[in-house]
Amino acid sequence: MEILVYGTINSVSLALMGLGFAMVYGISRVPNFAHGALYVICGFVTWTLFQKLGLPYFIAIILSLGVNGVLGMLMYRFVLIRVRGMNISEIIASYAIGLIILEGLRFGGFRGMTYTLPVFMEGSLMIGGVPVDYHRIVMTIIGILLVAGLWLFTHHTRIGLALQGMAQDERAALMLGIDSDFMAMLAMGFGAVLAGVAATLIMPLGNIVVESGYHVLIMSIAVCIVGGLGSWMGAFFAAFIIGFAQILTVVYIGSHFQMVVAILAIILTLILKPSGLFGQQKELEERV
Amino acid sequence: MKHTQLSVCLTLFVSMFVFLWAGSAFAEKPIVIGAPLSTAYLYGWDAERGMKLAIDEINAAGGVNVNGKKRLFKIEVIDTRDLEPGVPVSEALMALERLILSKKADFILGGPNRSEAALAALSLLSKYKKVSIVTSGVLTPKYHKTIAANYDKFKYGFRIHGEAVNLIGEIIANFADLKEKYGLTKVFIMAQDVSHARGAAKVMGKVAGSKGFEITGTEIFPTGTTDFSMALLKAKATGTQIINIWMDMPESAILLKQWYDLKIPALPFGSTLAAAEQPGFWKATKGKGEYTLCNVVNAGNAPSDATEWTMKFYNAYAKKWGVEPEGLGSSSSYMAVYVLKDAIERAGTLNSDKVVTALEQTDMMGVYGRLRFDPKSHQVIVAKDPKDGAVGSILQWQDGKRVVVYPKSIAKGEILLPPWMNK
Repeated sequence: MEILVYGTINSVSLALMGLGFAMVYGISRVPNFAHGALYVICGFVTWTLFQKLGLPYFIAIILSLGVNGVLGMLMYRFVLIRVRGMNISEIIASYAIGLIILEGLRFGGFRGMTYTLPVFMEGSLMIGGVPVDYHRIVMTIIGILLVAGLWLFTHHTRIGLALQGMAQDERAALMLGIDSDFMAMLAMGFGAVLAGVAATLIMPLGNIVVESGYHVLIMSIAVCIVGGLGSWMGAFFAAFIIGFAQILTVVYIGSHFQMVVAILAIILTLILKPSGLFGQQKELEERV
Repeated sequence: MKHTQLSVCLTLFVSMFVFLWAGSAFAEKPIVIGAPLSTAYLYGWDAERGMKLAIDEINAAGGVNVNGKKRLFKIEVIDTRDLEPGVPVSEALMALERLILSKKADFILGGPNRSEAALAALSLLSKYKKVSIVTSGVLTPKYHKTIAANYDKFKYGFRIHGEAVNLIGEIIANFADLKEKYGLTKVFIMAQDVSHARGAAKVMGKVAGSKGFEITGTEIFPTGTTDFSMALLKAKATGTQIINIWMDMPESAILLKQWYDLKIPALPFGSTLAAAEQPGFWKATKGKGEYTLCNVVNAGNAPSDATEWTMKFYNAYAKKWGVEPEGLGSSSSYMAVYVLKDAIERAGTLNSDKVVTALEQTDMMGVYGRLRFDPKSHQVIVAKDPKDGAVGSILQWQDGKRVVVYPKSIAKGEILLPPWMNK
């Protein structure tokens, strides 16, 4: 039962971390290596609005998500648009932005272990004899609802369908009058908001530290490679595979190896099925 | 009249230049302290603050008397990043070499902070014959053993704080008290995957086992782990009564919050538990960290009356930095500067070999007790009483305060158990 409960929680947490990265790549084909930095900055913005400016917690979260979205769009509009289509340059540019944000925060004094956000609900309850705190339950429920909401958004709204069209075939989308650059910018904004949602849900469990930006980036990449680059639903399922694999490793082998699981998953996927579980990136090459 | 005024102005102008030139020519060159520290981490910045406080005090009092000439201290801090996950040891070595070659450091104080990096740095110190006193982090017993094993080569390295074996001894003494007082005998060990913590966990398991404690499990966590629930549930399932934690990563705060949320009936007893050392821990965890114990290595890093100097340092640090001494490197880094000053003054020179000899003869009362180095291993001599040697300090968070509970000679309170542990 412990494995089931904490495996699910861990998986949803990984899915939250990776969804934004998967969405941006799926739509704009830009590997956003500043994803972890956007995750961290949202935590610090929320902290500043809530702890320093005294805004209500919920308002602080909404505002910081807005800030993150705008930041993501600005990153695309002023930097990434210039290197779009050049994969290595996209990685270098986005990673550089991420480094500037993370190391800038550190330089600006955001270091140490005392930056925290409050949990949504205090206390814990027993699920099948396993104690779980309310915040993790809330995080899991919101995570699952978010995925469902994303599915509905991309399948039943005008913007969502346009984004999906871009993801499927950018040239065809262009011919149908969809502004691909605007949509890519929008995707970056959505991705940044999703990074922010992950931050505001996960960070109250611990503290806001710059280092988590690098951790989130690695886990996002792992989830997306296993799920298949470009498929956010694939990323969601991959999160469950890695999430449960990590928990099983902790229980039967040792905590020491839990990070190895994620790295091993990347290596195995790249060897056995480079396109990942649901990806289309290299499918043709694989067939050839 | 105009001509006279012009002459006076010119004379003043020239005199000013002469004075400035003379001043710069005759002022003694400052003694440069190179501080290789992982400045983004607690054990880096607490050391930096401790050293800067001591340097300010010494400079304000006139500086260091080197063979009759007063010279000021100057500090050059460089970020080694060695406490950050994934940063190779070579980064710290490059930073150290830059301090020596570019910044012309006369002495090295502080770090590198990570044991692996400090061990690797010994060869570099030997190559450049630079005297170094490690003051923060670096808990591996290998450090002083390496110096003792090859004294002629590594004699330039000193360590002014307690090491992992001392820490284990202090923790075991507390376990014995907990066993006697509350009947706690089952210990679960959680450690971070870094040299000193892995080593300490291994030794801890052996020592605790030999002292009649049952080790219910040992878990090693990679740096950056963000979920400890399964390990905590393992601890609970095995009837664990004490969780011994060896972690300096920020994520250890998550472990302590999870411990509270899951109401694990075991006392968290940490060492190098950076998250719980900081005065802001209580606010950051909204009191969830209450009852957490941690070994802060030396007295002075938490309030106590170990010596007359302890609270003077404590208050001066709080006044200068707006926060109480924060981590295990605060008081030792502060004292290292005073110890170096004392050694230089006795040696009457900055010559490395002579300063090494002077440091070996150090015997002064400091913030955390009597400071002396073992002449062979250059490890500070530790004791339970500040009159005999450097004393450690174990604190427990009680009602929002860091209360020193060990050693008895300086304790301000007794260990309390969380209410969900009281039968």
